[in-house]
Amino acid sequence: MIKEIVQGMAFTLKQMLSRPLTVQYPEEQKPVPVRHRGRHILHRYDNGLERCIGCELCAANCPVGCIYVEAAENDPANPVSPGERYAIRYEINLMRCIYCGYCAEACPTEAITLGPQYELADYRREHTVVTKAELLESWPHFAQSRRPPSPRGAGADQTGREEIDPGVSPRLAWDLVDARRQSGQGPHAGDLGIPADVPTVTEPGTTRDNA
Amino acid sequence: MTQTPAAPGPDDGRVGVTIDGREVRVPKGTLVLDAATELGIHIPIYCAHAKLDPVAVCRMCLVHIEKFPKPQPACATTVAEGMVVTTNNAEVTKLREGVLEFLLVNHPLDCPVCDRGGECDLQDFTFRYGPGTSRFPITEKVHFAKALPLSQHIELDQERCILCWRCVRYYDEITGEKEIVLQQRGVQTLVTTFNGEQLKSNFQGNLPEVCPVGALTHREYRFRARPWELQRAPSVCPECSYGCNINADSRDFEIKRFASRDNPLVDDMWLCDRGRYSFPQWNTSERVRRPQLRPRGGEQRDVTAVEAISAAARELRAVVDQHGSGAVGVLGSALNTNEELWLLGRLARDVIGTPHIDHQLEPFEKLDPAEHALGIADIEECDALVVLGAEPEAEAPVLTLRLFKAERKRGARVHRLDHGADPSRIASAVRGAKTIGVIADETNRAHAARVAAAITGGAVRRLTVTRGVNGRGAKDMGVLPGLAAGYRSAPSGKHGREILEAAASGALRALLILGPNPALETAGDVLQRALARADSVVVIDSRPGVCAGAATVLIPGHAFFEKHGTVTNLEGRVQRIRPALPPATPTPTETRVLSSLAAELGARDWDRGEPSAVNRALRAALAPYAAAGNGGRATWVAEAVA
Amino acid sequence: MAEFPLLTKDFGTQDLHERAVYERTGGYQGLREAFKRFTPETLIAEVKTSGIRGRGGAGFPTGTKWSFLPKDVFPRYLCCNADESEPGCFKDRYLIDKSPHQLVEGVLIASYALQVNVAFIYIRGEYRDQRLLLERAVEEARAAGFIGKNILGSGFDCDVIVHGGAGAYICGEETALIDSLEGLRGQPRLKPPFPAVKGLYGQPTVVNNVETLCNLPHIVQRGGEWFKSLGTEGSTGTRLFCCSGHIKKPGTYEMLLGTPIRELLEEECGGMRTGSTLKAFQPGGGSMQVLLPEHVDLPLDMNEVQKAGSSLGAGAMIFMDQDTCLVDVSMRLVDFYQHESCGKCVPCREGTYFESQLMHKLEAGHATPAELATLSDICANMDGRCFCPLGDTATWFVMSAYKHFRDEFEAHCNAGECPVKARARERAA
Repeated sequence: MIKEIVQGMAFTLKQMLSRPLTVQYPEEQKPVPVRHRGRHILHRYDNGLERCIGCELCAANCPVGCIYVEAAENDPANPVSPGERYAIRYEINLMRCIYCGYCAEACPTEAITLGPQYELADYRREHTVVTKAELLESWPHFAQSRRPPSPRGAGADQTGREEIDPGVSPRLAWDLVDARRQSGQGPHAGDLGIPADVPTVTEPGTTRDNA
Repeated sequence: MTQTPAAPGPDDGRVGVTIDGREVRVPKGTLVLDAATELGIHIPIYCAHAKLDPVAVCRMCLVHIEKFPKPQPACATTVAEGMVVTTNNAEVTKLREGVLEFLLVNHPLDCPVCDRGGECDLQDFTFRYGPGTSRFPITEKVHFAKALPLSQHIELDQERCILCWRCVRYYDEITGEKEIVLQQRGVQTLVTTFNGEQLKSNFQGNLPEVCPVGALTHREYRFRARPWELQRAPSVCPECSYGCNINADSRDFEIKRFASRDNPLVDDMWLCDRGRYSFPQWNTSERVRRPQLRPRGGEQRDVTAVEAISAAARELRAVVDQHGSGAVGVLGSALNTNEELWLLGRLARDVIGTPHIDHQLEPFEKLDPAEHALGIADIEECDALVVLGAEPEAEAPVLTLRLFKAERKRGARVHRLDHGADPSRIASAVRGAKTIGVIADETNRAHAARVAAAITGGAVRRLTVTRGVNGRGAKDMGVLPGLAAGYRSAPSGKHGREILEAAASGALRALLILGPNPALETAGDVLQRALARADSVVVIDSRPGVCAGAATVLIPGHAFFEKHGTVTNLEGRVQRIRPALPPATPTPTETRVLSSLAAELGARDWDRGEPSAVNRALRAALAPYAAAGNGGRATWVAEAVA
Repeated sequence: MAEFPLLTKDFGTQDLHERAVYERTGGYQGLREAFKRFTPETLIAEVKTSGIRGRGGAGFPTGTKWSFLPKDVFPRYLCCNADESEPGCFKDRYLIDKSPHQLVEGVLIASYALQVNVAFIYIRGEYRDQRLLLERAVEEARAAGFIGKNILGSGFDCDVIVHGGAGAYICGEETALIDSLEGLRGQPRLKPPFPAVKGLYGQPTVVNNVETLCNLPHIVQRGGEWFKSLGTEGSTGTRLFCCSGHIKKPGTYEMLLGTPIRELLEEECGGMRTGSTLKAFQPGGGSMQVLLPEHVDLPLDMNEVQKAGSSLGAGAMIFMDQDTCLVDVSMRLVDFYQHESCGKCVPCREGTYFESQLMHKLEAGHATPAELATLSDICANMDGRCFCPLGDTATWFVMSAYKHFRDEFEAHCNAGECPVKARARERAA
């Protein structure tokens, strides 16, 4: 009986001296995991052009139908995005969104990703429908709005993708890793031997959000 | 073919073929492609098109046919007795993969920004039959111009073009205008306009539809929507009385385009540009939205629909009580449905009791249903065709394509003459022809009758091009002075212009106007005076215009694409229209408004006026409409005409 | 052998292109005799008897082709196909250069047999001099009364029109030729209907090669039976062979059909050049399959050569020596077809482009073995699927070279350069 009391008190004492687990939110915030799927981000190319081409594949792929896109034609003299088409309106209903990331998966230009932001509560329902202006990376200071690159490098995860040239888009990198797996080489077998003429979807040197 | 089938069928001009182990008997001269379609076997095609002659250039439809050393194009090979066709073996699978791989070698694969993505044959067949990957060594593809405007309607992307020739053949075979040509050769071949000129055709809008990929696209539809998010409402083009079948495609409560809906008896899948690009007017926000009372000298106020209908009934009854039922003029419109017009006619004649009812301004004498005897599809059966004046083809442009088809397929002579051409000269010009069609505009009916009478020695049939999408229906429904529904004689009344003049002079004290009526608004000054002078102007209209502005009782109407109903085209074909947009107003639809109005005015046996119920009642009352059903022709026997 | 050579018999005569000289050597006798001795029907029968096969490449019996014309459908047209564009082929040019009147006479005889009142000679655009010669010959013949109304009092009218092409290989295909003649894009037409039923301007049309027509005066003069006695059973008469490549005396030689190829090579062409040994040869021009030295003893007979896996085609013999890289030759031929593809059908338009890209990569030594397999698969996807033979033939040389010289193709893979050329360079050094 006494033994148990002493054991219990000892545990309590030990816990009193250890660092508390509680985080003083919102003054303090826990770091968000690398692949956290929070609020969406619409990205830009390094020259400031929007990546989004308004193709609406994200909306088509969305299982809950929370994305609304309206496209328009670019003025060649003053384009919003490379090519002919851009999104003149891009809205996501965050109340309806289930943060599954299918939109990012469907995106052919990797314009949309799910970012680290999770503080999405609001006092008004209307405010939870975010517009393009809110979703888009700011320009020209967009580099600051980006999350600092993960210590393991862009596109890193447990399958050895950190070894891949950061210039290669994550999607292509996946294919390469898969191809190597199938050919019996381990993911850490060294140089992946990406031929120089493989087209890179991303411009070299672009750091990427890969939440 | 030497091989005979197990049991040779009777010699009925049909031959038996076996496709993928299933037998089918088809008429001689049928293409293998069509025989397969009959069996429900899908053969992918790019260059082949149901309305165009085969060229067999895309090689996508190659199939294995026994006893042929090489695979044969299904789109250009006619069936023969005992032919054994295979479309699903490894050989055919491989060659489809091969052709698709070739097609994609120089295709830009910009599906995400392509307007056709989602309804593109190249995309669909690549997913269904394609190889999945390309083995093309990554070198530069051949590049051409993108987003090249060919006219105010059409944009060309030469990179996406798979050179199926459909657009070139469309101009050669359907319109005969030859505006699009091929230039260069080999992989450098490109589609462009003749001499680099802008397209001038009235039928350009069909090009994006014949194009199997996204090379030719509508500029009006550019980046407006993706096909999968479009709501499709099968309806009828509201621009003219030809009655072309369309799909009104809308997104977010806006019509984004009119797409053709093939009806071989009417449009043969071709639309004119006037009709096809008329859709933006239906998206207008300028609408009558609330019922209003604007008593003369009183204050204007918004009311409920029920109040508005009672007020209308009160005003009309007051005029009838004071001045007699002949003091009410009723005006319908060629834009209304048959159901509305039928109710309007009954309301005017049976409930109010006025003979003054019309749907247009001009008098319409000696109306004879025989003047619509020549069906649109019958034009192809004629040896000679007489078109009086430019008006018929200006009014109903798609008629031109049918005339060209008759010329090209049958070798018919088409005589395009002045609208006052000498009947005896016409008669001598068409001498020798067995079947003759005479086509005239509504304003030229009398002369067309003289021409038809002058022609001897051949069966003559007439076609009159009416005005307004339901101009023919308005006549069938008896929205005419002196002729009740079904061309039964009725007490003679004033025609449209006379009604307005009588109202302006004070002879008529009340007007009931069912709009929108563009014909009425061309009346000008007399309309203004009539509306200002009448004691009561009850207007049911969807557009704020002269009539709606001068109404004493204004009841919002529903636009053409916001309601159910039927319309009758110039040859008497009764066709359904369906709502593509939600109504801009919460008031009941016109048929219900008219029924309530009739009930308020004392009619007892009218039901609530649901369009479907009205349609049933209408068909019970008019035998030709019962026979026509939905999509058939209402033909009136001559005896029924008074 | 008094009767041999046949077509080129008088080609040594000076100024043979003049009508007077041509008539002195017995010219236009065939036409006179045709009018005198034959009705159109018997003339067609005579040509059938002769067993002459088309000299343009496909080798279809001419008499049979003529008999396909529907009876009583007039007007009919005759087109002489002088759009000689096959790589390695220059016999028609030779025939026109030396004796244009022989062709005009042949055209007139054929026109008489077919009851054609307007005959066209469609001559290759690049053959400008030959076109001028022909035009002059036609004018001379017209002045002498061989062309025009009531020719030589026979009651037969015929006009001959010389039309120059605009430089497309495909216009050598008969339906493309007809399209081009009508003023359309030179592209082959869908068959059926065949030109014999619905050809030029929608009327029955016969398209014959220059050499075929040049044979007619001789058949008329000496009879079909005599002509049949020349050559072999399946290939009667003589043919002109255009010999080129690494041989001592390149040129056009008329050979009796059935003669061994060796005789043509060793005697007429003087054998291979000093220091050269025969590695491969193409018996029928650029589109035909390659043959090996062991085939040199084959007779010049269409059926025999076909059995060996190639064809006499248009009669262009290209001999290649040991320093010739077959990959290089394939690449150049594929480039030719890629350039000449009319763009009508997908397998040819895109396939030749695909093929050409792969061949360039292979020739430069950068292709992988997988791409070599792709090449042969691409060829298989083209062969037999194209609209007209152009696309099919674009694969034939490559495929036959790949079959016979597989090692050479494989050696190019990932080699960084052409091994054959490297070897030749080493030897030279």
